[in-house]
This record gives sequence, C-alpha cells and structure tokens, in this order.
Amino acid sequence: MKFYFFHLMPWPYLPDDFHQRYDSAWVWLPNTLYDPAKGHELYREYINTLAYADELGFDGICVNEHHQNAYGLMPSPNVVAGALTQRTKRCKIAVIGNALPLYNPPLRVAEEFAMLDVMSNGRLIAGMVIGGGPEYFSYQMNPTHAREKFREALDLILKAWTTPGPFMWNSKHYHFRYVNPWPLPLQKPHPPIWIPGVGSLETIEFVAQRRFAYMGIPYFHIDVFRRVFAMFREACAKAGYEANPEQMGWGVPIYVAETDKQARAEFEPHIWHFTRNHLKGIGLTPPGYTSAKSAAAIIKNQKHFLYTKKTWSEIEEGVYAIVGSPETVRQKLSHYQRELGAGIILTGCQTGTLSHELARKSMELLAREVLPKVRKAA
Amino acid sequence: MLKFLKKLKYGARVLLSKGGGQEETIDVAGRSTVMRHGGEGPPFVYLHSGLGESFMWLPFFQTWSKKFRVLVPTHPGFGNSGGFDQIDNIEDMAFHYVEMFDALGLEEVCLGGVSIGGWIAAEFAVRWPERVKKLWIADAPGMWVENQPPADMFRIMHDRDKLRELLFFDPKGAMASVVVKDDPDEETMLAAYQSLTVLARLVWERPYDPKLPARLCRVQCPTLLVWGDNDKLIPPAYGDAYKKHIEGAELKLIKNCGHLPMFEKESEFVELIGRFCAA
Repeated sequence: MKFYFFHLMPWPYLPDDFHQRYDSAWVWLPNTLYDPAKGHELYREYINTLAYADELGFDGICVNEHHQNAYGLMPSPNVVAGALTQRTKRCKIAVIGNALPLYNPPLRVAEEFAMLDVMSNGRLIAGMVIGGGPEYFSYQMNPTHAREKFREALDLILKAWTTPGPFMWNSKHYHFRYVNPWPLPLQKPHPPIWIPGVGSLETIEFVAQRRFAYMGIPYFHIDVFRRVFAMFREACAKAGYEANPEQMGWGVPIYVAETDKQARAEFEPHIWHFTRNHLKGIGLTPPGYTSAKSAAAIIKNQKHFLYTKKTWSEIEEGVYAIVGSPETVRQKLSHYQRELGAGIILTGCQTGTLSHELARKSMELLAREVLPKVRKAA
Repeated sequence: MLKFLKKLKYGARVLLSKGGGQEETIDVAGRSTVMRHGGEGPPFVYLHSGLGESFMWLPFFQTWSKKFRVLVPTHPGFGNSGGFDQIDNIEDMAFHYVEMFDALGLEEVCLGGVSIGGWIAAEFAVRWPERVKKLWIADAPGMWVENQPPADMFRIMHDRDKLRELLFFDPKGAMASVVVKDDPDEETMLAAYQSLTVLARLVWERPYDPKLPARLCRVQCPTLLVWGDNDKLIPPAYGDAYKKHIEGAELKLIKNCGHLPMFEKESEFVELIGRFCAA
C-alpha cells in the first residue's frame, strides 16, 4: 500500500466577502485578486512542502492541472514537476494529470512527460485527464469533442513512447506526418498511467480494460468510493483479470494533530473556507462534456459532494476528510482502506487557508506515527 | 392568476393544433431525420432554434399550414434525429439540408429559421441560392459585431431565472414559464442537455462564421430579417449586420420582444413571415 502526498496549491488570499461578491472561484473570477509577489512566496512554500514529503517517506507526491482559478495554481503542473525532479531524490512524481484535449498538439504531453521521466531518473507517474468542466470555458475548447480527443491523444502518446519513430499518425482529430518525440521516457515500456475520475462508468470501464490505474477524486462521500471501486473490480473481472489494489487510488484529505480535539480546532475553519470558496464553481459542466446519461448521474452525485455539506458531523459521517489524533487517524485509515481495497491513498494535508506550519506538522505526524502502522496492518 | 390562465390557454391551443401535423422519419444520406409537416401549397421549411420547438406541432406551424406546405425537420442530434456524429460545424448542417431537399425532391423552398436555425438558413442560401425562393432569418447568430458579443448562455443555462431573463423581454410573462419550466422532469432535462450539446458543438469555439459576411452577396432572393427589439442573446445589431451584407434585405424589429419571437410575440411574428413568404 502506497501513500501519495497531494498538493492543490490553492490561493489562500481570497477576500473575506468573496462568497457574497463572486459566484465562482473559477474561469471568470477576476485575476486582479491575484498578487504575483504573494504568489512567489506561495510557490516557494508549496514546493518546499512537496519536497519535504519526499524526506518524510511518502511514496510519491502529486500535482495537477487547473486553469484560471483560485482553487489550484498550477495551469502547468509540468513546470512544478520539473522543479520537483531537482528537489526530490526518491519519491515518485505523479502528475495527475495533463488534460490531453487542451494540448494542441498532444505530442507536447509525450515530450514533456518524457523530459520529466528522464530528469527524475524514471520516477514519473503519467496522469492523463479529460480536464474539469471549467477548463473548457477557460480554453474555449469544444466540450463535445473532449472524450473522443482524450482517447485519440492517449493512444497517440502511448504509441509515440513505444513505437520507434518517425511514424505517421492519422485519426479523426489529429494528423501528423512525423511522430518522433525526443526525448523518450526512461521507464519501459512507458511510465505508469493513472486516470483520475469522478465515478462515470465510461471512465471506469475504460481504465479497467486498458489496465491503467483509477484515481478516485476526493471530496465525495465514502459511499461514492465504495460504489466506484466495486464497479472497478467488476469491470476488471469483465476484462478477464483480477484488479490489483494499486490500480485503485482513494483521494481523501487527512489532518493529524496531537489530540482529536486539537485536530478539529486547527483544521475545521480551513475546510469550510475551502468548501465555501475554492469549490464554488468547480461543478460547472459544459454541455456535451459527458453523455446525457453521465450528466444525469453527475447531478445525482452532487448531493454526495463536499460543496453541499454544512456541518462537521456530515464531514465525519461521509468521511470527506479524516481528522484526529494519530491513533484515531490510524484506525479510520486502516478501516476504510481495508474496506475499499484501494492500494493507493492520495492525501492532502494542505487545505484552503491552512498555514504552512500546521500543514507540515500534520504531515510529520502522519508520516512518523500513522503511516508505518497502517502499512504494517495492511 | 392571469398568467396561469394564459398558460392554460396556450396548452389548449397546442392540443387543438396537434392533429394538423404529421410526423415521419426520413433517411437523409444515412441520417435518420424526424420531420413534422402539414398543409398544402408552396413548400415552407422552418429551421428550429436550440430550443427544439420542432419536437411538437405547435400552433404557429398550424397557422402557416393554412397557406403553405409547412415542413419542420428536427436538426441532426436534436430530439430523435440521428447523425450527430456526422455534424462538426454549421456547414455540415447546411449540407444536411441540401441532402434532405434532394431526398424530398424539393427544388425550391421558402426557407427560414430562428436563432441557430436562421444561421443554418443563411449558410444554406449562400451555397445554393437557386433553391431558396424566399429567405427569412430571425434572431440569428452567425455574424460578429464588435463590442456587442452574443451573451454566454452556457454560463447561466442551469439558472432558470437568468435563462428567462436572457431569452425574454418579459421574463415574468406566461410564455417565459411555458418555455423555461420551473420544475422540468428528467426526460425534459435530458432532452435539453442533448439540445445544448448540439448547440455547443456548433458554436462553442466561435459563435459565428468569419466567411459568412463576404459570402452573403450570393443570396439572390428576397430576404426578410426579423429581430426582437429586446433580444439580449443576439442583439438587434446582428440583424443590422445581416442587412448590411444582403442586398435589398429588409429588417423588421418586433417591439417588446426578446430572442424567441415565435413564443413571445407569436401572432405578429407569424403574420410577418406569412405575408412575406406569400407575396
């Protein structure tokens, strides 16, 4: 069982009246609210935190891609991952992921991921995503072609990594006379492929059939994860093999402090800040981005999404986050990990406005007092 | 109460006119296409807006059908019409219609449409001007007017109040709540999502055709442009833009009317188009 440390790199300086004044933290939130000087400090601290996860013994660190928003400041996660290849020695670097339909040509992803794999001496995990709904507003990319483009681009990238170039490529959306990326990845046949998802059956079946790994995106009720991993195991069985636990990732925020009471007191204001501010607008779904059937399922799932939650007991009951003393967190983690059967836990300690100091304290407690015991029990 | 009665009255008119139209499914170059039609006389083809008002034989079709052979096809991808995978842009829609007219043996038609339907009609008329006897375009995108961008309907599509505000002069009126219902059932929601998906495919990246203005000089037939004077989605300046590029075109503004004249000012709209096509 593997522990990955996730960082969203949020913008913590939203105005106090944000919730009254703005309908979204995404796409059209005025960028006059961004301050590059503060941004410099943030990147420095955030990258320090990620590098510290390597020192503390996390198996990997994760970065991801979002555009024009205050939720996560990595329009290019590859830039951050590039810095991390030089700041870390041992851990995997998971870029989960690059939103393939937004890259034209998607060969750019084949190139940059290959660079990261070579620079990190084979530590890259290549995450591929369709990209969130808001990104299709920010980049004005046609959402009705998102899925088709995603699959074509993914096949193109895999072929670019595994078939000697140059070769010709022709598909509905992409045409290349010379596919021949320099450099190529160090890992053979190619870096592991992770696909994040929010529970659509289409994605689950696709990941299972292709034997990639499915990463369940956090901020959903534990029931959603129960259902998703059951569906995933079934899809693997249908594809003729038994799911490997390391094909299943469970995304869940964790916060550890000296006691249960202290943990809640330190963490709770920040998860509410995050929920009411950074998550506002994340559900923006352009038409055609999913099939009508999936769109209906997404609407149904929304009541199991953190954004609609109002009380601490709802957070605890739905396991939207695991918060407590080392012993409490150990018990809950072991319990749910065993129940879900997920072999990968993706956890963020940094949420919303939580200070760098508290985030690091929680990481230390998690790495030193919780993870060794959870690993042993598993 | 008055609003309730008005809604009831519209419902009754829909029921009464229902029998006037027939539905059939025709094959258009492999695309299964639903078409409603009724009446006799010169062929009159109505191209629907993103709302999918072609899904039912509505009272305004019935009125026109007293003078014309009214044909109301449902665009590929909308409702029960297939072929969405063959449509990537507005030109594909224009080609779909020339293939449909061929399939039906229609040499020359009165052609027009509202909103996206009007844009398709314009794209058709610049390619096959000899097949259009009269052209009318209402509240249509397709052009670009600097400093007057069409509104972003996709941003507000889930907010029913804002949607009514955008589409109607009188968002509190009876027709606004007939068209944008308060508590749509799941079937209605799915159909709306499907319609929006087709719209998104056509307009998402660029809600106009940069080549259209220069091509509009190819339109040969009498042309009528009809705009709600209060269209907030595609402002009347877009009517002016079409007028500027189509020789002899006439622009009629409908007073106190938003983006959907066939619902908000039905009798005036139906009368204008009917008189123009019959002349």
